Amino acid sequence: MRGVGALLVTVPLLLALAGPWFVPDDRTRGGPFMPNSWLGTDFVGRDVWHQVLAGGRTVVLVALLATLLSYLVGVPWGVVAAMSRPRVVDDLLMRPLDLLLAVPSLLVLILTATIAGPGLPVLVGVVTLVNFPDVARIFRGAALEIAGRPALEAMRLQGESWWRTSIVYPGRSMVRTLAADSGVRLTGALYLVASASFLGVGVPPDAADWAVMVDRNRVGLFLQPWAVVVPAVLIVALSVGLNLVFDRALRAEARS
Amino acid sequence: MSLRRYAVRRLAIGAVQVLAVVTVVFLLVQALPGDAAVALAGDNPDPRRIGEIRAAMGLDRPALDRFGSWLWGLAHGDLGVSLVSGRPVVAFLLDGLGPTLVLAVLALVLLVPLSVLLGVVAALREGGVVDRITTAITVGLHSIPEFALAVVLIALFGVHLRWLPPTAVGADLLAQPAVLVLPLVVLLARPVCSISRLVRAGMIDALASDHVRHARRLGIGAQRIRFAHALPNALAPAVQQVARTTDWLLGGVIVVEAVFVVPGLGTILVDAVAARDLPVVQGLAVVFAVTTVLVNLVADLIGFRLAPRSVAIA
Repeated sequence: MRGVGALLVTVPLLLALAGPWFVPDDRTRGGPFMPNSWLGTDFVGRDVWHQVLAGGRTVVLVALLATLLSYLVGVPWGVVAAMSRPRVVDDLLMRPLDLLLAVPSLLVLILTATIAGPGLPVLVGVVTLVNFPDVARIFRGAALEIAGRPALEAMRLQGESWWRTSIVYPGRSMVRTLAADSGVRLTGALYLVASASFLGVGVPPDAADWAVMVDRNRVGLFLQPWAVVVPAVLIVALSVGLNLVFDRALRAEARS
Repeated sequence: MSLRRYAVRRLAIGAVQVLAVVTVVFLLVQALPGDAAVALAGDNPDPRRIGEIRAAMGLDRPALDRFGSWLWGLAHGDLGVSLVSGRPVVAFLLDGLGPTLVLAVLALVLLVPLSVLLGVVAALREGGVVDRITTAITVGLHSIPEFALAVVLIALFGVHLRWLPPTAVGADLLAQPAVLVLPLVVLLARPVCSISRLVRAGMIDALASDHVRHARRLGIGAQRIRFAHALPNALAPAVQQVARTTDWLLGGVIVVEAVFVVPGLGTILVDAVAARDLPVVQGLAVVFAVTTVLVNLVADLIGFRLAPRSVAIA
């Protein structure tokens, strides 16, 4: 069991990150859905293997960027809400997020992406928008719990500096929350990015992107199944593998 | 706080929540570039024609004015008419509700027993072979994108082996149950994982708890301890997740409907957003918000019934 997760992650990740370098510059187009090369051609006659090589980077990078951005926005948001002296600030910051969480995430995603138009930055932004309320909520909870710890009280009584009691100690304690949350967050972002691209949100319709390939080539499923199955299997493998790897890391951490 | 007062207070908060969600969606749709008039005027729009359509549809009135009259209609149970086809929005919603309900109800009927069974079996054999295998599978499938799983299953069972129809296009869902098999498998994949893991964790906790140990000392039979004393406590955390899943299923599962060509609420939503059909999008937002509030309320009441102390503080 040990190596399965790592293997499932490595293959799609290598393809995604290194793949674009191996795509030849002069690409000829053939007829649509022809079985003439290794994996055949896609709906507009492009070579499926080249598309697979070129199409993983956006999925992976957008998911990574969106996760990073969710933390950059969500963590300060939650911590400020938890630490602010006037409790009104807490309500002002957190109530609107409850609202955002009550709207189905794909509805938010479709609406905002239609407003902002296509483009990878839009996709990153929208996935961040859907993801960061949850991050803010979790870190608000963590910050509240840390603020109430006897250890912090003791540090204050000992006359430790503001820097140590407000930044260093809570920061170090929150790293653990971050580690526990990051796996779920990244696979969640991957799920959203892939689903959004599949629905045609934020990406051009002929983009070299695994999720877009699955959507566009579905019409040729009977003629040329590889054009659909290969990118779909790569997405599935990446998602399953990431889950297994993060879960193993988390349990190893819990044991130590 | 008594159960009834709790329910009434939650309903009041829920009404405010519905109003807020509807306002947010109205604002978002207002911000969409172009409106239904532009979409209707076709590929080669003439500014004068767009102006005429706008005036006919009332789109030239101030946004606040339109929102007010829309709210007024909502209070009377009138959701307005579609800008694109002129059909009442309620008719749209009823059309989409059928397929969505069929999928949601069937998925839930299968989901709850299946995930509870998996969770309990894994918990009773904690650390055993069955537990390790189910844990690996449930962890792995936990956040798998539905469309990817769906097309792999379609390619295998629909195209390669030809055991099942690849899509539900044009089919009557209830008359031809075969078309429902693949959509249901895809819909169940993620929820079964998350809920069975919660049940497993809850059951392990409950079996190690003081009251179960006390029941053992009293000499109560093992089966009765497991199912009458430990299981209800193990289910309380899972109820919240079942509620989220129900909410997700009732919201029209956009991706699954798109892959299997099921004309449910999700398909209607995608079409309405593409056509800038504001009243239909608004109507859907009302439905989604109301189901979210109601489902969460029911879940909290069930949770209260299963483990009274856990909700009493909230």
